[in-house]
Amino acid sequence: MTSSPLSSPSQIFNMDYQDALALLVTIRDMAIVQFHRIPGSAILTRYIKMSYQHDPARSVIELCLVIFAIQYLLAPKYSTQKKNFVKLRPDEVDELIEDWTPEPLVAPLTEFEQEQIDKTPVIAGPTGTKVKLTNGRTVTNLASTNFFNLANQPALAESAITTLRTYGVGPCGPPGFYGTQDVHVDCEQDIAEFIGSEACIIYAQAFSTISAVIPAFAKRGDIIVVDEKVNFATQKALQLSRSTIRWYKHNDMDDLEKVLKKVEREFRGRELTRRFIVTEALFEDGGDVADLGTIVKLKFQYKYRLILDETNSFGVVGETGRGLTEYYNLPATDVDMIVGTLATTFVGGGGFCCGSKEIVHHQRISGLAYVFSAALPAMLATTVSEIIKMLRENPENFITPLRENIKTFHAALAKTDTLTITSSLINPTISIQLNGKREMSNDEQDRLAQDVVDECLANGVLVTRVKRIALPAGMSKGPKWFGWNPAMVVKVYVSSGFSKKDCEKAGSVIRSAVTKVVGKKR
Amino acid sequence: MPDGGPSRLHSGSVSKGRRRRSSSIIYVEPPETIEQLSDQVALPNLNANWVNNKGAWLIHPVCIAGLKIFYDTIPGVSQETSWTLTNITYMVATYLMFHYVQGIPFEFNSGAYDNLNMWEQMDNGDQYTPSKKFLTSMPILLFLLSTHYTHYDLTFFVVNCMALMSVIIPKLPSFHRMRVVMPWSQTIEEVDGEEPS
Repeated sequence: MTSSPLSSPSQIFNMDYQDALALLVTIRDMAIVQFHRIPGSAILTRYIKMSYQHDPARSVIELCLVIFAIQYLLAPKYSTQKKNFVKLRPDEVDELIEDWTPEPLVAPLTEFEQEQIDKTPVIAGPTGTKVKLTNGRTVTNLASTNFFNLANQPALAESAITTLRTYGVGPCGPPGFYGTQDVHVDCEQDIAEFIGSEACIIYAQAFSTISAVIPAFAKRGDIIVVDEKVNFATQKALQLSRSTIRWYKHNDMDDLEKVLKKVEREFRGRELTRRFIVTEALFEDGGDVADLGTIVKLKFQYKYRLILDETNSFGVVGETGRGLTEYYNLPATDVDMIVGTLATTFVGGGGFCCGSKEIVHHQRISGLAYVFSAALPAMLATTVSEIIKMLRENPENFITPLRENIKTFHAALAKTDTLTITSSLINPTISIQLNGKREMSNDEQDRLAQDVVDECLANGVLVTRVKRIALPAGMSKGPKWFGWNPAMVVKVYVSSGFSKKDCEKAGSVIRSAVTKVVGKKR
Repeated sequence: MPDGGPSRLHSGSVSKGRRRRSSSIIYVEPPETIEQLSDQVALPNLNANWVNNKGAWLIHPVCIAGLKIFYDTIPGVSQETSWTLTNITYMVATYLMFHYVQGIPFEFNSGAYDNLNMWEQMDNGDQYTPSKKFLTSMPILLFLLSTHYTHYDLTFFVVNCMALMSVIIPKLPSFHRMRVVMPWSQTIEEVDGEEPS
């Protein structure tokens, strides 16, 4: 046909079209035959025929769904995680490795740091009110938290040795895993009875006590209202808890109420979460007293729980040493969690948390430092029990001389404008703020405080100063750093073991050292 | 003091991320912070991982069959109603489980998943994973079956179709971490974006 010269292009097209159509029909017929051979094809045909039912719109919806399902099933998997790295070629990787010079894990010491290490006084023999240094000199020790001078008592040492013979040194296991001994249970009961709370739990390390207590109760979404000057351990606890933190101005009860009101307004109508107020009893930074009476009132009014860090006050504050609740004549049960240390006044080790039975019981399975640390050595627990017994029998033997000594120190130091005592009269840790020049760099401030400490030591009085905690690498900027940055503070730890004369003498040594060093720099 | 006292700054958690524009009703969950991520990977997510276990797929057809038998046994329920009820029950149950409930009912990562529902927790948020494919095709299959057995009655079709859409739309990859916030609801607003005064 195609050979005919008369055939027009349209004819050719027509012919081809006919052929193609015939071919298509054949293919369709073959496909139908093949389709009918597939098992279940009859059901599918019937299903489609029935689905149609003179309603094309519905069939279109169903068809779309089927197409969507098939498309979904065939789509390749992908990750929605943001990839925040650059893909490098192997030669680029090699080049970077070549270029890289590792920094030392620990930065080399600065001249000032080296000097401090060289000059650190080392005590030979046991600690006490008077100590002998390795260089042979005997100095007055005002740098140890031995407030009742119990660190070297023969009676206590003897009972500790007896316990050691019976129980050995360490319990070799966490409290929940064969670590608890009868002396721990007794010690917990003694502390709870002494403070006047329902129950108590002891932790093996003082610093990690509060960082176990707070995260055991607070998690993301919970609200914690905190005094802005809380100590470093508490700051770490707050960070670990992942809670929403709101700060109030240091010891400013109006600001606290303002913050509580603001929180109430902001979180109204939301899912109710746990709310806490956290404060220290005697502040590590500054040494002043928290206004517990008002805080407790506000806590009840706004329905918060109160966590009180009694690290510096337990044993030494209050008529019988029961802490800040006694000082304010409040029942200890008004404070939901009282956290304190057994390592200072009680010359043992570890920390404790007092509260209701439920609060204590909850920590036994979710206080991380309790669950995952070995229990307190038995002899430390018995020592604490012994001291509590002594304190309960005649508190005036301890508290009265300590009070007298603090007063004497305050009087001896108060006569100069080169220093300011920021700590309260009930605080045996006297914080001496040096009134140096305002515009001093951090290094100059540290140097000044260190010079005062050195000058005191040269005159036979051992005192210490507050050191900054340097910013970790990579945390220099941004709001995530809590920090510990007190400036030019010399600390004096008063003990009941000193005579009035000792205190006056040491006080005048410190005062003249401050006048000499700070006066020179002004 | 020149720079005394700890610098008063807020916690390490999200700050400006969860602040919602009051005018918009669509809200996209911001990416996790370092703290949240490290808490998330501290332990395997037991809440979401079981969907990949053996038997987790089989339970779906078994439950659907169980529901169908249950509704069939109720006297006076026609085949059409029975299929529709089965469909609706399955859709509502899976919606609640995968898309409504957020966070993890157990406490093992200090609430690091509090802002994510189970569908977003599954497979670390990866899309088109085998489990997600299965869980998406399951309601579609059930819908096609139930419309077939309701004999294409328009009312039943509309009801079933809406039930299906309520579980298919939140499963779409483009709706990942997306929330619809009603203007009057206060559930998501700035939580700790406050600067210290």
